[in-house]
Order: sequence, then structure tokens, then C-alpha cells
Amino acid sequence: MSSMDAQPVVEKSGLDTVKLPAPTAWPIAMAFGVTLLSAGLVTSETVSILGGILAVAGAVGWFLDVLPHEKHVSVPVEEEAGVVAVSRRKVERLPVAPELARALLPLETYPISAGVKGGLAGAVAMAVLACLYGIVNQGSIWYPINLLAATIYGQSMALTPATLTGFHLDSFLLACLLHLITSLLVGLMYGAMLPMFPRRPILLGGVIAPVMWSGLIHNILGFINPLLDQKIDWLWFVASQFAFGIVAGLVVVKQARVRTRQVLPFAMRAGFETSGGAGGTRSKENP
Amino acid sequence: MASESIAIGRLDAPARQIGEILHDWVTTVDHKKLGLLYIMYAILFLVIGGIEATIMRIQLIVPHNNFVSPQVFNEMFTMHGTTMIFFVAMPIVFGFGNYFVPLMIGARDMAFPRLNAFSFWISAFGGLLLYFSFVGGNGLYGAGNAPDVGWFAYAPLTAKAFSLGHSTDFWTLGLLVSGIGSIGTATNLIATVLCLRCPGMTLGKMPLFAWMNLVMAGLVLLAVSPLTAAQVMLSLDRYLGAHFFDTQAGGSAVLWMHFFWIFGHPEVYVLVIPAFAFVSEIIPVFSRKPIFGYPIMVGATVSIGFLSFLVWAHHMFTVGMNSYANSFFAISTMLVGVPTGIKIFNWIATMWGGKIRFGTPMLFCIAFLLQFLIAGLTGIMLSVAPFDWQLGNSYFVVAHFHYVIVGGILFGLFGAFYYWFPKMSGRMYNDALSKWHFWLFLIGFHLTFDFMHIPGLLGMPRRIYTYEPGRGWDVWNLIVTIGVFFQGAGILIFVGNLLWSSLKGKFAGNDPWDAWTLEWSTASPPPEYNFATLPTVNSRRPLWDIKHPEDPD
Ligand SMILES: [Cu+2]
Repeated sequence: MSSMDAQPVVEKSGLDTVKLPAPTAWPIAMAFGVTLLSAGLVTSETVSILGGILAVAGAVGWFLDVLPHEKHVSVPVEEEAGVVAVSRRKVERLPVAPELARALLPLETYPISAGVKGGLAGAVAMAVLACLYGIVNQGSIWYPINLLAATIYGQSMALTPATLTGFHLDSFLLACLLHLITSLLVGLMYGAMLPMFPRRPILLGGVIAPVMWSGLIHNILGFINPLLDQKIDWLWFVASQFAFGIVAGLVVVKQARVRTRQVLPFAMRAGFETSGGAGGTRSKENP
Repeated sequence: MASESIAIGRLDAPARQIGEILHDWVTTVDHKKLGLLYIMYAILFLVIGGIEATIMRIQLIVPHNNFVSPQVFNEMFTMHGTTMIFFVAMPIVFGFGNYFVPLMIGARDMAFPRLNAFSFWISAFGGLLLYFSFVGGNGLYGAGNAPDVGWFAYAPLTAKAFSLGHSTDFWTLGLLVSGIGSIGTATNLIATVLCLRCPGMTLGKMPLFAWMNLVMAGLVLLAVSPLTAAQVMLSLDRYLGAHFFDTQAGGSAVLWMHFFWIFGHPEVYVLVIPAFAFVSEIIPVFSRKPIFGYPIMVGATVSIGFLSFLVWAHHMFTVGMNSYANSFFAISTMLVGVPTGIKIFNWIATMWGGKIRFGTPMLFCIAFLLQFLIAGLTGIMLSVAPFDWQLGNSYFVVAHFHYVIVGGILFGLFGAFYYWFPKMSGRMYNDALSKWHFWLFLIGFHLTFDFMHIPGLLGMPRRIYTYEPGRGWDVWNLIVTIGVFFQGAGILIFVGNLLWSSLKGKFAGNDPWDAWTLEWSTASPPPEYNFATLPTVNSRRPLWDIKHPEDPD
């Protein structure tokens, strides 16, 4: 610490005075000099010259304040004014987890595998309903699959109404991939979010969330999948979203919860080691 | 503030003593006195900038008004914007940082006390230089011209051919000079936070206030540098005939915009992150609960700081960039909403289930939360490039950024004033007057800035000095101007309350709020040396640990 410019030094002997950096007028002189130096540009050269001289004088005076030895003043320590005290000694706790000194919310959460399982189960439920729609309405199980592939597959736009009901291996593989990835991601999101809204998981996961993303898709479908946008049957579409949400939500909440680890500092829970990170432990280290 | 006020109150004080006190303040290197100087200087300019705003609003109260000339109107909006950003908001947040960062981390002073004094004085002289233009500046319309090129001073308006005389140079030099002080103070804050924390205070146990000031100081270093570079380039253009921004000689006017806004956008965060810092200290204490999600708050602050350097060209959608640039800046701007939203949720979660005390600091913080949320929402609207093409440079934009700066930053600042006034002066403010201030200012704010969105949506451009009647703008402009007088009344009560209470308020004691950070463990106002013995801390709430030894954090 002694290397810092003017960090005050505590006098060990009885603490009746504290050394503080001495007041000085040189900084203000230098500041005024620099200001005049530039003010000369809008007034006249003499102002700049005066400012330059003042700035240099200020800098020299400032250096002599700290070199070779920093100037100090000793300030007498007054009687410490009172101790830290509190009138209300009682500590109330939120009735969340009385057994914990400080609770991290949510207290319990699902393992990642719960999200994966929920996503996969939802994926199956949604696929069943979508294929049912294909068979009942269009007489082809491949019809909805071809439509879905058009999201990422430009060739799908070339499909005619006649070929839309046929099997195309490329469209099939891409649709499966897209369906699987999206379902897994939404399932993981369910696993992470449902513990934070623990009261009515099925209402949130099965109804509210599908309604919200169906509304979003309704607005942007023209951009992300124009083919599906032309052909879509919204009733069946929303029904299959509900199927996904309800099944995924049910599967997730059926999994066993694990306790959120409460005492470990954030840095350790996040899996990296730091010193002086976001610590919550009671260690006595010095900086 | 206190030592000065006692001296003024004593009528038999000899003149020599007043001179001595003045000498004390001019030569001081104490972070607390410099913090107060910053704050008092900023309040002075707040009143000046407020008068400029009032002049503009009176001019716009009815169509075809002749309260001021178009020339004066141009000077008013230029000086109002420049003053409020550079000579009110920045000095105030530097003042609070200066005063409280060392106290909160258990240090005796800033890392570089003399640099601290230098930084304050050069910033202050920069403001005086700018205002000297009202007397000494000569411009297009003869002598005594203040700058009139707008606060972002776009090229080619600032070129010698379009801006005769020296009024633009006053603007350039005023900001250049005060920028030196900003860099100095930012360096000082970073060094202080990183090197002078008391024993036991690891980075993870530092109050959020100190964390956020650290991030703010980093932003200042990175943001003020391009502004300074641009000012030097502009001066080279104007004095030595360089062509950086001269399109006819191969320069680029858009280059100025990039330079200005890569400063200008982070600057918003330089100002709002300290407001976050105030709110993050006040809400826990007034909710009687520790802050919710401390590590997430730190992470969100750092990521806001980082993101703020990736969004600057959202101020330039109307310039006509290519679609890749438009998309990039639209998306990066929307991303800012994520960490900001996290913060708002964390503050609400801190209040949830707490024993909330509705003291004046807390009232301002709650208003801050709601208003900052709305400001963020209109910000996201404007981040959609096609929406911005419609409303860019309209009063909708003016309403949006005043919602950020007044509804967010200024409300946070008022909360901070009332929260820390007992510490700085040793006396309590008058509670009834503070409530009057809150309600008058709240009503005035909403009258002015809620209704200002509407003429913007109806197509009223900013910076026009008058308008035709019958365009549907008249009644909205009338309401907007009426709101200004409510705000003015609130400000007068605020300043009066501070002055009166620092002389006559009842004594506050060390810890009037039953708070948890180190500044409340020392006397009010703190002695010159802050702490007789440097404290040692074990947790984020050192005073809680002392007050509740059976239940430490
Ligand atoms: Cu911006």
C-alpha cells in the first residue's frame, strides 16, 4: 500500500493522530493553467502563454509536494462517536426455509435429465398429433413433415401440392432434426423455469406458455416458414402445441427434485475456481 | 457542507476566518470535500440547465410564439443538453462516487488525492469556459454567442463555413478540458476500488455501489477517449484546415457520428449505472432484506457495460446504413434489455416479502423502477430500425431519453440525496418538504414527459423553435410546458430543504436508517480520516454482523 500515491499511513502508536495528505493549491493552479491554455484558442495567444506558464508552474509545485517525500499533515483522532448499535434486535425471516440461515431461491430444482425427458416426451406427443392431422385431413403422414422442413430447407418451397404428400428423405431428416432440437431446448427451459413458478406447473407449462409462443409464431410465421404459413391449419397447430406443453410439463414435474445447493459460493456452483470471486463463505483471507 | 454552514451561521465570525475556510476548500485534497464540491457545482448547473429548458418550453407553449428568437432557441437546446450531461449528471455521479466509494470500502481517501483535486477543478473550469461563450463567444450573429450546433454537434454544421466565429470552439474546448477531469476521476475510482479495500473485503464482498462505480469508471475511460479524439480532430478541421469531417475534401460527416455515438451511448450507462448503484443500496435497507441475487447483479452490470459498446449506431438508423448494420445494432440494442430486465426483477425480488419503509429515498427508488421500465420499453421500440425511421428525431425520441435521464437517473439521484444527506451533513432533512418535493416532481415529470410522446407520434420534430397551429400538437405542448412548472417547484423545494436542513435540521446520528454498509459506522459527517482504525469485514453487510452477532451473514 505504501507504493500508492498518498495512501495515508496509520500510526501504530496509540492512534492519537492519523497522517493524511497535506492540502495543496498546486492542482487547482495547474487545472486553471490548462484551461487558460486552451481558452487562448478562442481569445488571444497571451492567454495561452499565461496558461502554459501557470500549468508548468502547477505541475512543478505538485511534483515538489510528492518528491522526494510526500507531504503529510497529522490529524488528531477525536473520541469515536458512539458504537454501532441497533434498536430492534429481533430478526424476522421469510417463511420460505426457516431451517436455512440465508435461502437461495428456488430451494429445490429439477436435474437436467428431467428437462431432457420432458422435451422428448413432448416431442412424441406433438408428433403423434401432427401426423394424425396429416392422415385425417390430407391422407398423408408426410404432409406435416414436409411443411415443417420448409423452415430450414429452401428446396421445400419447390414442392407442388401433389408432391407435398409424398415421402422425401431429405425433408424427413431435416424435419426430425429440427423437431428434436427445438423440443429438447423447450424441455430444458421447462426444467429450469417450472421450479420458479411452483404453484400451477401444468397451467404455466401446458397452457400459458404454448398460447404465448403460438401467438408469436402466428405473427412471424410468414418470415420463418412461408410454406407452412400458406398451408397451416391453426386449430390443429395450436392443439399440437398444447399436447407438447401438457405432456412435457407433466413429465418434468413427475421427476424427483434435487435441493439447490445453498451454501456454496456462486463461483463454485458455476464450476470455476476463483479467489475473491462472488464468495459467500466466511473466510478470513486478506486482500 | 456542515463545517461551512456553521461558519456562516456564526455572525461574529471574523472575516479572516471565512477567508481561511475558503482557503480550506480550494486547497483540499479530501475526497469528502471534493465530493461535496462536485455535487454543489452540479446543483448550480442543474438550476442553469433547468432555466434553459424552461425557456424552450415557454417558447413552445403555444404556436407562433415569440418568447425567444430562433437563434436563442438553438443556443438554449445546445447548452441545455451539453450542460445537463457534462456539467450536471457527470459531476453529480462523480461526487457521490468520490464521497462514498472510499467510505464504503473502508479506506481513508481516494488512491490519488491530488489528482482528485485536479480532476474536479479542471472539470469545473471546463464548464466555466463553456459558459464564458455567452459573453465572449462570437458566432454567426455577432458577439456574445453561445454554441448553437446541438449537443451532438453533427458535421458539417460545425465546419468553419457554416459555424462562423468561435462559438463552436467554446463547445469543443469546454468538453475537451472537462474530459481531462473525467479521465482523471475515472482512473482514481478504479485504482481506489482495486487497491484500497479494507482487510477482508474481497471483490465478492464489496457493496454493489462500489462494484457499479468501478464499472462506470471503466466506461468513462473507454467512452471519453473517442470523444476527446473527435474534438481534437474537429479543432484541427477548424483551426488548421484539416478535412476529417469535410465531405467535399474527401472527409466524412458520418465519421463524426460514429465517434460521437460510440461515446454517446456508453455515456448513458456512465450515468445510469450509478443510479443503479444508489437503488441497489437504498432498496435493501428500506425493505429490511439483503439484495436479491448479488452475483447476478454484478454480472448484469458488467454485461451492460460490455453491451453498451456494441450498440452506438442505433442513434444512426436514419442515416442510411446497410441492412446488416441495421440488423446488428437493432439486435444488440434489444440484448441490453436482458441484463437490465434481470436487474429490475432482482430489485423487485429484494422488496418482495420485506418490511418496506416508505421513506422519501425509497419513494424515489420505487418511482425509478416504474419509470425506468417504461423508458426501457420505448427504448426497445426505438431499437426496431423501421420504427426508428418513422420517429427518429421526433419528440418521441426526446420523450424517451428524458424518461431515461429524468425518470431514471434523476429520480435515482434524488433518492441518493435524501438517503445520504444525513451522512454528509450530520442532520436530517425535513420529511414533509421532501414528500412535497417527491409528489410535485412526480406529477410534473409525468405531465411533461408522458404527454411529450404524443406530439412525437404525431410527427413533431425536435429542435423546431415554433410550429403551425392546428396540427394536433397544440394541447400536448401546453400540457408539457405546464408540467415543467411543477418540476421547477419541486426542485426549488428540494434545494431549499437541503440548505435549510443543513443549518437547522435535527441531528441525524451515525446510522439513521439502520443500514449495513461501512459509511454508517463512522460519525456524521465523517471525520477527515474517515475511520480511526481501519475496519475488517467478513461479509457483504459488515454492520449487520456487528448488530446481529448471533446471526451473521
Ligand atoms: Cu443509445
